[in-house]
Amino acid sequence: MPGAEALSSDMTRDPVGWDVDSPIQAEVFVVWLDGDQILLTGPDGPHAWYLQLGPTEHPVEVVDRIVRDVVGPPLLVHSTSWRRDRDAVILSFVVVIEPGLVGSMESVPIGRAELARSEATVAPRDIAVEAVVEHGLRHLAWLAEDDPAVAATLPPGWRPILAAYVPEPFRALG
Amino acid sequence: MTDTGEYTNRCECGWEVTGPLDEVVDATIEHGRRIHNMEASRDQVLAVLGAGQPDEPADLTA
Repeated sequence: MPGAEALSSDMTRDPVGWDVDSPIQAEVFVVWLDGDQILLTGPDGPHAWYLQLGPTEHPVEVVDRIVRDVVGPPLLVHSTSWRRDRDAVILSFVVVIEPGLVGSMESVPIGRAELARSEATVAPRDIAVEAVVEHGLRHLAWLAEDDPAVAATLPPGWRPILAAYVPEPFRALG
Repeated sequence: MTDTGEYTNRCECGWEVTGPLDEVVDATIEHGRRIHNMEASRDQVLAVLGAGQPDEPADLTA
C-alpha cells in the first residue's frame, strides 16, 4: 500500500470523547441580568457546565472555586435541585454573576419552561435542561424572598424579574 | 499508537484540541483540571486517546 504510511503521519483522526464521569457531578448554570432579561452563559458556551466532584470535596466550595478561577467572583452560588442522570447524581447549581464578568462568553436568553413533575413515589422519566433551569430560577425566586443574605446580595433589577417565577424550595427532580 | 501524527480530543463541553500527541495530552489535562475539576494523569488521557484512535494507520487507498 504505497503512500499510506506517509498519509497516516499527517492525518487528523476522529476525535475521541472526554467526559466528566465521577459518580457525583455538579451542573452549573451561570446566569446574569441584562436589563430585564436573564441570560445563560458559561466558559464553554451558554449551556450546562459540568464539574467533577471528588468524594471528599464540598460541592459548593468546588463550584465557587472553579467559577471564581475561570469566570471571576460570583455573586451567588446556590444548589437548587438534584437528580439522577449521566450515570451519576447531578447537583444543579445556579450561579449569578455581574454583567462585567461576561466578557466574550456567549449568552442566550432564558425562556420559561414547564417543570418536570414527579409522581408521588416515582421520579420523572425525562428531565429537560430547560426544566432544570426553570426550577433553578424558581428556587432563586424563593431565596430572594426567604433568605436575607440572598435578598441583600442580588443586584437591583433581579427581584422584579424573579417575581414572575413561582417560588419553590430545593427539590429532587429525579 | 504513533506519536508522529495529529491527534484530536474533544470534551463534551465542546472544547477541542488537535495537535501532536504530547500537546493534546497536556492540553487535555489542563482543560480538565481548570474547567471541570478533573484530575487526569497522562496515562489516563493516553488510554482515552488510544481507545478512540487505532494503533494501525487507516487504509486510505482501499
